Amino acid sequence: MPLPQDDQAEATMVDSAPEVSFHDLLVAALPALRQQALALTRNRADADDLVQTSVSSALAAQTSFQPGTNFGAWMARILRNRFLSNMRRRREIVDIEDAPASLLARSGGQEEGLAIQQLRHLIGKLPADHRLVLIMISVQGLSYEEASEQLNVPVGTLKCRVSRARAMLRRWLLGDDEAPKPRVTAPKTRARASVPAHALSALPAAPVMAKLGRDNGEAQLERR
Amino acid sequence: MSKPGSPPKRARKAPSDKAFDLWLDQGLHAMFDEVAKEPIPEELLRLIEQDRNNK
Repeated sequence: MPLPQDDQAEATMVDSAPEVSFHDLLVAALPALRQQALALTRNRADADDLVQTSVSSALAAQTSFQPGTNFGAWMARILRNRFLSNMRRRREIVDIEDAPASLLARSGGQEEGLAIQQLRHLIGKLPADHRLVLIMISVQGLSYEEASEQLNVPVGTLKCRVSRARAMLRRWLLGDDEAPKPRVTAPKTRARASVPAHALSALPAAPVMAKLGRDNGEAQLERR
Repeated sequence: MSKPGSPPKRARKAPSDKAFDLWLDQGLHAMFDEVAKEPIPEELLRLIEQDRNNK
């Protein structure tokens, strides 16, 4: 039975769609791989080395990739395995403070630069697996399901890692543990008072955070 | 309090938590976006192209 015209057109399009080669997939995956490598190694030079060795491994093992399956996940696993193997060999990592200055934020002026510097230092103190999933979710915009497929780690574990990583950074940056409870005198001011001003002022990002807290609080109050 | 058998209610984030999350996401993007936007090193592209041409 002949196909309806629309279906015929669709079938022709599928048949004639250019097949994406293994090498094209590899080139397209490189930007995300470089981000993941930087998240793991915390150091630009090491990240470049990690990507290079991972690409070499992928090229050597390309026959084991099954076309139509998730190429990003396949590459992410190679990258992670290479990283773990390098770690076992070296048992040490160059500290984040050795990162070249070119990695620091260039926009937003001096205050924002200092805040990013502080954040970069603290992110380097997170466990590597926490750091990687935080970047995959928060920067690369992957869903937990996609990250789970790429890392072969359950979704619940990934959610736990991201939540823990954020909590650790918050504690280190704002010192919530030591911060005395803010004095709240009226229910209406609770939203604003919940940002401890002294904690914010201790952070290099104070002006940014204070503005965000203020905007957020004001937005809350305006809605009431 | 949630009823027995009903899913637990998700705790609402305090405004300061939201502000911090927002600031953190902006910071992470500032740190990691740049590397993804940079041109791929020539050496890496050459490695891939050499392999492509050998097939």
